[in-house]
Amino acid sequence: MKRLSSSFMNMVLSLTIIALVAAALLAFINSVTQGPIQTIKQKNEADGIKSVLRIDASEEVKVSEAEQDGFRLFSVSRADGSYAGTAVRSTDKAGFGGDIVVLVGFAADGEILGYQVMEHAETPGLGARAGEWFRTASSSEEKQVGSFSKAFFGKPDPAGNHNIIGMNPGTANLTVSKDGGDVDAITASTITSRAFLRAVQSAYNVFKGQQADAATSATAQHHE
Amino acid sequence: MNNLKVFLNGIIKENPTFVLLLGMCPTLGTTSSALNGMSMGLATTFVLVCSNIVISLLRNLIPDKVHIPAYIVVIASFVTALQMLMQAYLPELYATLGLFIPLIVVNCIILGRAEAFAAKNGPLPSFFDGLGMGLGFTLALTVLGALRELLGTGAIFGFTLLPASTNMLVFVLAPGAFLTLGFLIALFNLIKK
Repeated sequence: MKRLSSSFMNMVLSLTIIALVAAALLAFINSVTQGPIQTIKQKNEADGIKSVLRIDASEEVKVSEAEQDGFRLFSVSRADGSYAGTAVRSTDKAGFGGDIVVLVGFAADGEILGYQVMEHAETPGLGARAGEWFRTASSSEEKQVGSFSKAFFGKPDPAGNHNIIGMNPGTANLTVSKDGGDVDAITASTITSRAFLRAVQSAYNVFKGQQADAATSATAQHHE
Repeated sequence: MNNLKVFLNGIIKENPTFVLLLGMCPTLGTTSSALNGMSMGLATTFVLVCSNIVISLLRNLIPDKVHIPAYIVVIASFVTALQMLMQAYLPELYATLGLFIPLIVVNCIILGRAEAFAAKNGPLPSFFDGLGMGLGFTLALTVLGALRELLGTGAIFGFTLLPASTNMLVFVLAPGAFLTLGFLIALFNLIKK
């Protein structure tokens, strides 16, 4: 069979038909996969909220969602009606690779119960470690690095702290130690660390703001 | 026999990474670990095999003057389909690789094989060409990723082999990708002689 000649008609026809078939095929696959993708997204979000509030994944909870200043807040209460905490989804736009989206769980007094990095585009092996780094104390791996630096530079790395779980952003200074704060940055990833801590801090501010709002409206109601 | 030759051609004689030096962008970008490299290679293989077969079937129905736009539509459709299917059924793999999947559209290995092979040969040889080229690419990316992971983080496929004191972070970053690739190409040339 000879190849079709490049007449105007042939070009328009072949491109149109290819594009139509491709569009139809993609529309079909999209309709098939839309459901599962949505389910996975919702399940990830629900699991994330439970994990940052240290709630067992199998436990039944009631989640009420609210939006404030562009942040999404999820207040969670247990089956018996008691308050379990609030998870805040917070974004910082100035990560090393763009947006960093974190979900941070707070107890009623503002203590950080847990966090999860939901989306990021940080450097693998460096900034991408934010998901673990800020919830672990100095590990044995770092002690090795410490002794390495002792052997070569005559001084060990200061045994720092980069575990933000249990900290309260209301009292602790949630910036990297280089900026005078209480948290050690990820080695060679100061930009990521700063962006991450900013995201946590703004999550806390929004959480506190919502609490204050709730308190004033409650008092207002009380006065009526 | 002939098909076997076409298949092996992509793995050794015309290995897309080490010999043709095609698709350098995903090669350097995604090989920060062995798993990432291998997954990227396999995803590319899938698209390469599918697009080679379809383009070879359509090769006489596409007029010469519009063959590039036609090929791009075919390739982009497969990539989009792959992205949606992965997101729905392999969410864990998608989480690590999702960023790089759309890049497959502009991977020049795929367009290169469509031009150089599928547009001139039947579906069966095109299938073997796509498979050989794809696996050659996968092999190269896996080796590159494994070396960078080992030198940079002391592990291969996540299994720690070396103590942390020997880690050289530079190998996980872009300069390490260029260094490792350069040495691997030199080694490959030596073996081929």
